[in-house]
Amino acid sequence: MEIRIFQIVVPIIALLFISGIFFRYRKSDITIYEMILGFVFWLAVILVAIFPDFFSEGIAKIFGIESNVNAIIFFCLGLLFFIQFKMYFTIRKQQKDLTELTRKLALRDHLEE
Amino acid sequence: MIPKSDIPIFIPAFNEELTIAKVISELRECGYSQLFVVDDGSSDNTAKKANEAGAYLIQHIINRGAGAATQTAIEWARKKSFSYMILMDGDGQHLPRDLEKLVQRMDAGDCDIVIGSRFLGDVSAMPKSRRWFNRMANVLTNFFCKNQYTDTQSGFRMLNRNAIENLQLTLDEYGFCSEMLFLAEQKGLKVAEVAISTIYTQYSLSKGQGFYSGVGTALNFIWKVIFK
Repeated sequence: MEIRIFQIVVPIIALLFISGIFFRYRKSDITIYEMILGFVFWLAVILVAIFPDFFSEGIAKIFGIESNVNAIIFFCLGLLFFIQFKMYFTIRKQQKDLTELTRKLALRDHLEE
Repeated sequence: MIPKSDIPIFIPAFNEELTIAKVISELRECGYSQLFVVDDGSSDNTAKKANEAGAYLIQHIINRGAGAATQTAIEWARKKSFSYMILMDGDGQHLPRDLEKLVQRMDAGDCDIVIGSRFLGDVSAMPKSRRWFNRMANVLTNFFCKNQYTDTQSGFRMLNRNAIENLQLTLDEYGFCSEMLFLAEQKGLKVAEVAISTIYTQYSLSKGQGFYSGVGTALNFIWKVIFK
């Protein structure tokens, strides 16, 4: 089987993301379920990168796409999902912090009286 | 019977300048003196009107949602070591005379949370769209709960010390009503329901959740249940 560069590069990048997710879990930034969800997603990306033809043929059959440009599309999709994923957690954490801060200010003003 | 002076009433309010003073004065007429308004960053004169009406004002400097305001009320009650607290809406849809039903049920001593259920009473006054929406929310919430509740979205609730100590809401928006039930079951709190009446006006119908925010609330709640 001929090994193409992206079959090495994409799994390495995905593993970096997986380790990032693991460290975020260790720092209690995310829950265990969110970590598992992240793992599942990036493992799927790795599988697609390692066996692109298997998945691309499957998807090609479903959607009628017939091109090996699929690899690039998959990578871009993965990247977009990652950005979306990261943004979701960032916004969620900021929203939570904002509520906590607002509450602390509201309670501090009165409970210190 | 629990004396009225021992029952603090918390009203989470966002832009309720048209109704808040009337709600507070009606509660005063009914003999309740511990009245707190959690102003959730209103952009109108809600805070001023509540203050003038004699309520104690707890203010969010920015709007964080009904769930966040409710959790602030619960934390206040916890820090002040209140034995009980009642939560009610600031749009005037809840009747102060129904407070006694909640208090009597709580007084029986076999529950930690009493919910004022609109569906145990006459629902003919409730607009069909609202009825449909609430029933869908009931189905969704009851699906994730061990017990079955007739009105999972009612904001008219009484909590005892046990509930005040144990509830930690995390949903900022309207999903908190369902979340409270979900958490109550997790913490082993007992929940009871009593029939209440509600007044629906153009104003009160303009408040609360619309269809799209309701869908968002539902998705948020499902996410919370599955991933927490």
